[in-house]
Amino acid sequence: MTHQLRTEGLDLRYGDRLVVGGLDLTLPGGAVTAIVGPNACGKSTLLRGLSRLLAPAAGTVTLDGADIHRMSARTLARRMGLLPQQPVTPEAITVEALVRLGRYPHQRLLSPWSAADQRAVEEALERTGTTVLRDLPVDQLSGGQRQRAWIALALAQDTELLLLDEPTTFLDLRHQLDVLDLVAALHAEAGRTVVMVLHDLGQAARYADHMVVLKDGRLAAAGTPAEVLDADLVRSVFDVDCRVIPDPETGTPLVVPKASAARHAATTA
Amino acid sequence: MTGAAVLPRTRSSSRTRVRRRVLLFTGSGLVALFVLLTVSLTVGEMPMSAGTALRALVGLGDAGDVLVVQQFRAPRAVAAVVAGAGLGTAGCVLQRLFRNPLASPDVMGVTGGASLGAVALLAAGASQLLIPVGALGGGLLAALLLGAFAWRSGLAVTRLVLTGLAVQAGLAAAVNLMIVRFPAELAGSALQWTTGSVYGRTWTEVWGAGGAMVVVLTVALVLHRALAVLDLGDDSAGALGLRTSATRLQLLFLAVALASLAAALAGPVTFVALAVPHIVRFVTGPPTAASLALAGLTGAVLLLGSDLVVQHLLPVEGLPVGAVTATLGAPWLLVLMLRQSSPVRRRQP
Repeated sequence: MTHQLRTEGLDLRYGDRLVVGGLDLTLPGGAVTAIVGPNACGKSTLLRGLSRLLAPAAGTVTLDGADIHRMSARTLARRMGLLPQQPVTPEAITVEALVRLGRYPHQRLLSPWSAADQRAVEEALERTGTTVLRDLPVDQLSGGQRQRAWIALALAQDTELLLLDEPTTFLDLRHQLDVLDLVAALHAEAGRTVVMVLHDLGQAARYADHMVVLKDGRLAAAGTPAEVLDADLVRSVFDVDCRVIPDPETGTPLVVPKASAARHAATTA
Repeated sequence: MTGAAVLPRTRSSSRTRVRRRVLLFTGSGLVALFVLLTVSLTVGEMPMSAGTALRALVGLGDAGDVLVVQQFRAPRAVAAVVAGAGLGTAGCVLQRLFRNPLASPDVMGVTGGASLGAVALLAAGASQLLIPVGALGGGLLAALLLGAFAWRSGLAVTRLVLTGLAVQAGLAAAVNLMIVRFPAELAGSALQWTTGSVYGRTWTEVWGAGGAMVVVLTVALVLHRALAVLDLGDDSAGALGLRTSATRLQLLFLAVALASLAAALAGPVTFVALAVPHIVRFVTGPPTAASLALAGLTGAVLLLGSDLVVQHLLPVEGLPVGAVTATLGAPWLLVLMLRQSSPVRRRQP
């Protein structure tokens, strides 16, 4: 079991609209993969396709060689967790009650709450630093705390694979880094395979081992950030002129957009 | 993280406070249910002491007392308890399923459909034993009608309520028509099917619908985890391995079955299913596993209590219990709708 996700000739549609087309992709197991691309390029749709929430119009998604659409929903949910971009927080639910729901795929219809369930919940709270928040209503938390509570739910699910859809959106820089460091720690300490959609190319380069670049629902590039990210790619995919320099902190590629001519002329004049 | 120093204190106390409230509410609900049941056996045209009534219930004492208690008062009280429990639970399930505090089987036309189904079977000369079957069929039909009219709009609050009320009005009119058209078969039970009443229930009726109700209630309680997971929205619920569409349909079917069986016993009683979830929420806070069971208990107490009020406390004789609940329900629904559409509420996500 390497937790490797593969797609072959994957087409994903909403109604008549083809959102992701002919995608052949291998997401390495045991690694952190970042999926990047411009708005509406099909990143979130791809994540829904990878997690069985959207059935493919054509092609397959396999996890370690097994077609995920032939698995039972519960079997897959024990191996793969997903944090949607804007999850729905039930009214007045407490952090602990939310995290407990992560145990759903492990529970039988009539089985009582087990010691293993409780252990998984405690560990998830601990790891995300939400233990002290456990009895607070989620809808009263700050954005960063709320995101950590939701990650705790995905952790309580205890899956080897974790898909995160833009986990840093709507967070300030401090909380973005907190979430990304948490993800890095989950990978490094708990050996989780992580696939996340990110917007910031520099963050993606810093935190991911593998990078997938989408444009208009098609694969533009895939590989390590150093292999993939260069000025040509950013120009062709994001339509932005830039320089790509080594990140002074980490040496990973850092995208520095060219200064706008008008703005630059105004300040120097 | 900044509030770490003060949090632990509020934490343990808030949790035990909620738990204590739930226990207290459950305890007082059970006591109230027992007291009301006893009262319902003792009062009436032949008043008797609680001791006499309870002895008569098990067949001891004066033959007349035994007859009155066993054949008239007990089935009526049990019908109110079972129907109330079904309505309370159905309302609770529906309001969570639709994330809509206005959802309830009477507002959505299900009780009207169930009454029509029952009336249609009776008019056709079917036995009383088949009432639950007719009610279930009628309730499902009403749910399908509502779905056909309101589904496309994504079940917006006002549209659901308006469509539901229209469906309910149409079905109630159909019931009235049946009663006028088939006076011989239906006149005796006209009040039950137009307003909702537990007057004159017999054990034959109570056993059939009551037995089915116990089964459906049990299944609903077993599925409470699925209900909680569905609260997370379709994507999160799907990622947790829940088959969302199938589960939603199952729960919807359960709620319709509960409301229909309640209607088989008591006719189109309003208000109980609408109000009970709000009462439970007011007392115990956000929904938990316990709140489904509590909704059943509260519904039972509410309907049995209302029936006692109708029988013994009102100056007007022979009023059906549905008249009382409808009188309470109309303003309640109005307040809820006003609160729903107030600007403050609308701004919230």
